[in-house]
Amino acid sequence: MNRLPPDALPPSRAPDALAAQLAGLLAQAALKNQRAFAHLYELTAPKLYGVALRILRRQDWAEEVLQECYVNIWNHAGDYAVQKSAPLTWLTSIVRHRCLDWLRRPQQEATGEQYDIAVEAWQDDSPGPLEQLMASSEAAALARCLRQLEAKQRQSIMLAFFHGLSHSELAGHMKQPLGTVKTWVRRGLERLKGCLSMGEA
Amino acid sequence: MASYRNPELRDKLAAEYVVGTLRGRARSRFQALLHYDPDLRRIVAEWEARLTPLTAAAGEIAPPARVWQAVVRRIAGAARGAGSRTGLAFWRGLAVTSTAFVLILAAFIGVAPRPEPLMAMVAVMNDDKGQPAMVVSWPQMKAAREPYVRIKVLQEHPSMAPGTAWELWMLPPGKGAPVSMGLISTDAHQVMELKPALAHRMEGAWGVAMSVEPKGGSPTGTPTGPVIFKGQCVKIL
Repeated sequence: MNRLPPDALPPSRAPDALAAQLAGLLAQAALKNQRAFAHLYELTAPKLYGVALRILRRQDWAEEVLQECYVNIWNHAGDYAVQKSAPLTWLTSIVRHRCLDWLRRPQQEATGEQYDIAVEAWQDDSPGPLEQLMASSEAAALARCLRQLEAKQRQSIMLAFFHGLSHSELAGHMKQPLGTVKTWVRRGLERLKGCLSMGEA
Repeated sequence: MASYRNPELRDKLAAEYVVGTLRGRARSRFQALLHYDPDLRRIVAEWEARLTPLTAAAGEIAPPARVWQAVVRRIAGAARGAGSRTGLAFWRGLAVTSTAFVLILAAFIGVAPRPEPLMAMVAVMNDDKGQPAMVVSWPQMKAAREPYVRIKVLQEHPSMAPGTAWELWMLPPGKGAPVSMGLISTDAHQVMELKPALAHRMEGAWGVAMSVEPKGGSPTGTPTGPVIFKGQCVKIL
């Protein structure tokens, strides 16, 4: 049914300014300021919904998870600690992990109406999606390091992180033995970490 | 005793947890451990910071208006019903979310509401379906003047049949018989003091189990009723 729109570039905002704004809104939400919370939702829901749709591939599930996550963010906004992580990282992680927990529920295994999302984009060496990452300044270093991975390592990491594929789903999708894809993910992550830490130095 | 102390293994598990390939019971166990292991939370946060920028390529999609309307209904309802927000409403909120979610949050907020010694060992106890149901943790007993264990009931609606009691057992290594630690309630957070004789055996414990016993506890000194939760001990400090 619904196809994702062609990967639109996120509106470019200075990342630091956005982070500061989101941290401020979270602090207000912790004081039970509903207006601030509404603003936080406005600024972040389209991104988080996009993340949830990619992983869950079903609109009804993504809506339910998003709703649950925002109720929890409202209840726990006071627990957000600026020094521990960037606000968008915190919010995104909450949604991603909730999606993964959702997929774990046995009754969700049944195939329903699938949200049709192209997963081929990460397969080749063509830089399409990577170019997109480069455009966002926080992701530029990551995109550069991803480019240095072997194509299969890159693809398996993206399929796992971005689309929520498990090891066995990866093996099925890439038509490779389980052990092989496990190694791709593990080695890819190791190399990514090494590459990113060289960038910091 | 599983070793979560090997730095390479910790980094590997954290990376797989963040990338999303750590699934099933391994994932539940890891989430429960996060709760007690600040250093592991730090490693996870580092991986989140490394990988989350990938979501910049997801594009933004406006959710339908009904999502926000549902959120507003739920938070307005909670505000009306809340007598004491930090207490009752929080636990009421818990009832509609999963335990796992709370553990995820804990991973970020670095739960440390009160200064107390770091927990040295933890047993994540699963129910018969393999879902985490209870967590028992304790600090180094040598350091504690009054030895105790912390008990956290993870089940959303724990129920104890009338006329029965929940009894906690320390499972010693090898073929030793279970040693009663005492009776507990269904409260979400409990602290149980230990007799010194038992305290000094806790560091060698293999596991912790909970059985359903007649009111007042097992009459024989060993579990007589069904063991409903059970888990292996893991050294985290």
